[in-house]
Amino acid sequence: MIEIKHISKTYGKKESAFEALKDVTFTIPDGASVAILGKSGSGKSTLMHAMSGLDRPQTGEVVIDGQNILTLKDKQVDRFRAEKIGFIFQSFFVQGNETVSDNVSLPLEIANVAFSSRRKRVEAALDSVDLLEKKNNRAKDLSGGQKQRLAIARAIVNNPSIIFADEPTGNLDSVTGAKVEDLLFSYNKNKGATLIIVTHDADLGAKCDIIIHIKDGKIESIDNKKTRDGAKR
Amino acid sequence: MKFVDITKRAGRSLRESKARTILTSLAIGVGAFTITLSLAAGAGGRQYAADIVSANTNKQELQVSQKQESALSGPQEYSDSPSVTFGGRFSVKQLSSADIDKIAAVSGVKSVSPAYNLSVKYITRVGAKKYNASVSQYNNAMSYNFIAGNGKNLADDEIVLSKDYITALGFKSPQEAIGQTVDLVVARAADIVPPQDQKTFSYKIAGVIDQNELSFASNQTVILVTPAAAKTMYDYNQTGTTTYGNYLAAVVIAKDGVDVNTVKDQLNKLGYDAQTAQDLMSTIFQFINVLQGILIGFGALAVLTSVFGIINTQYISVLERTQQIGLMKALGMRRRDVGRLFKLEAAWIGFLGGAIGAGLAMVVGLAANPWISNVLSLPKGTDLLIFQPLSVTVVIVGLILVSVGAGILPARKAAKLDPIEALRTE
Repeated sequence: MIEIKHISKTYGKKESAFEALKDVTFTIPDGASVAILGKSGSGKSTLMHAMSGLDRPQTGEVVIDGQNILTLKDKQVDRFRAEKIGFIFQSFFVQGNETVSDNVSLPLEIANVAFSSRRKRVEAALDSVDLLEKKNNRAKDLSGGQKQRLAIARAIVNNPSIIFADEPTGNLDSVTGAKVEDLLFSYNKNKGATLIIVTHDADLGAKCDIIIHIKDGKIESIDNKKTRDGAKR
Repeated sequence: MKFVDITKRAGRSLRESKARTILTSLAIGVGAFTITLSLAAGAGGRQYAADIVSANTNKQELQVSQKQESALSGPQEYSDSPSVTFGGRFSVKQLSSADIDKIAAVSGVKSVSPAYNLSVKYITRVGAKKYNASVSQYNNAMSYNFIAGNGKNLADDEIVLSKDYITALGFKSPQEAIGQTVDLVVARAADIVPPQDQKTFSYKIAGVIDQNELSFASNQTVILVTPAAAKTMYDYNQTGTTTYGNYLAAVVIAKDGVDVNTVKDQLNKLGYDAQTAQDLMSTIFQFINVLQGILIGFGALAVLTSVFGIINTQYISVLERTQQIGLMKALGMRRRDVGRLFKLEAAWIGFLGGAIGAGLAMVVGLAANPWISNVLSLPKGTDLLIFQPLSVTVVIVGLILVSVGAGILPARKAAKLDPIEALRTE
């Protein structure tokens, strides 16, 4: 469970201060698929950074599985990210000069996974995104859709309980985008991992269980398809 | 993150920019090349010097003389003890016969042979011309290069001659000369007014020597007799002169099994100046070490230059890979590990540079050794460049450490990168 309690984040100081997040509070149950929906500059990326421990809001709590990650030391936050979180970015951030399997192996190396089990896990992850036969190719030779599938393999290889996807289909055409979406949702359903998609694409957002609308750093509304309570804030 | 994984990733990203890696390594390679060659030259020089010293000296042997006054400016106070005075200022104190007895009485001393300062008029034999001669004492410790006969158990009526005398004195071959008689003619130095009294001393040729490439006595006119034979001629030559019985120096041989340094200490305590073969060697070594130090200094300068190259390369690499660093940090890679990644890349550069430089130095050195020996006319089998595995290893390891040091600043920059900022870079 992810509990966000009254977080605020301000960039800059005094006159130039900019409040990116204003007293944001919500809760995400385990295994849900969540869309954080908002226009650019709405604070949705800042929210994702705060939830994943990349950024530290000045006030509030980010409680994940009972642990407030804002009170952890950097070292522990790094470990938390390495073990529990997978990231997918709009511009893929795959390492073009490395092979496909080396790209996928990186999170395992960071998380200190033993050599013996790495290969198996890398191949399983590549297999689930249909890239196994490309494992020895260089990542730069892949197409955009393949790169994003590679990024998904990299995000899921260490069996994270939470996956953050920042505009995962933003750089893809609709056909390849749809395939990437399918992969993400099927991982969410099959493994029970929480999927948090940050997007401005309402169609993509509509496919999620929970839709959090964010505007000017504040939560506008939260739609929960499962409870249909549509709590307004 | 495991050290092995970081090392592999570091190596991989260097392979990605081969040209840059190799060029940066080459800069440090120049330093490695110079330092490796300097160390090899130093090792070779010391080895050569040690060969020379051991060929010319006995490790049980000491050169003993009077302790000399060091301050030699202004008029010197007259001393009644025997001395040779040069121009009123510079005087060398000599050892008297009493001193020789005193030295001989020191425990641990096996023998004392004064340096007999005798002058022989000429050497000749029946039916041959007269030749100038200068007589030295045969020393068992020296390695003479015998081409006929030998100097073992040289008797007091025997003599060792160099090859050129054999030819000059009309022998057909060195072998033929063995057992033949030659005459040394000595005059009395005390007879200042001619005609001087003179006497012929006859010796049997026991051995013929050729030039020894490692020997100090490299001139080709050597006449060697036993110390006792030298004393006999000296007595005839010098009796009646003011300097008779006084010697500039004496050679002391310490008893076998006695540490030559304890004998040296005792002699120094008695007021003599004693030098062992080791002392002589350390003087030469000091000279070689200074030269080697200068060469290493040039190498160090090249290394210093390459340090800036490494810093520069690594800074550029950090800039180029901002995104990659951001991703790794987002995925939970620790600051320390990111820093290590860049330090290890620097270490790889250092290793490559060290290996290239040292390797090249060895190839060039080993190829040049015969040529150098030829140009400097060193004896066969003497290499002036000796590559010791340990010193080559130390050079490479040292350069790796220097490179890591150079990589610290860029590595710190990488470690400090904010992943959010880094991933925003498009």
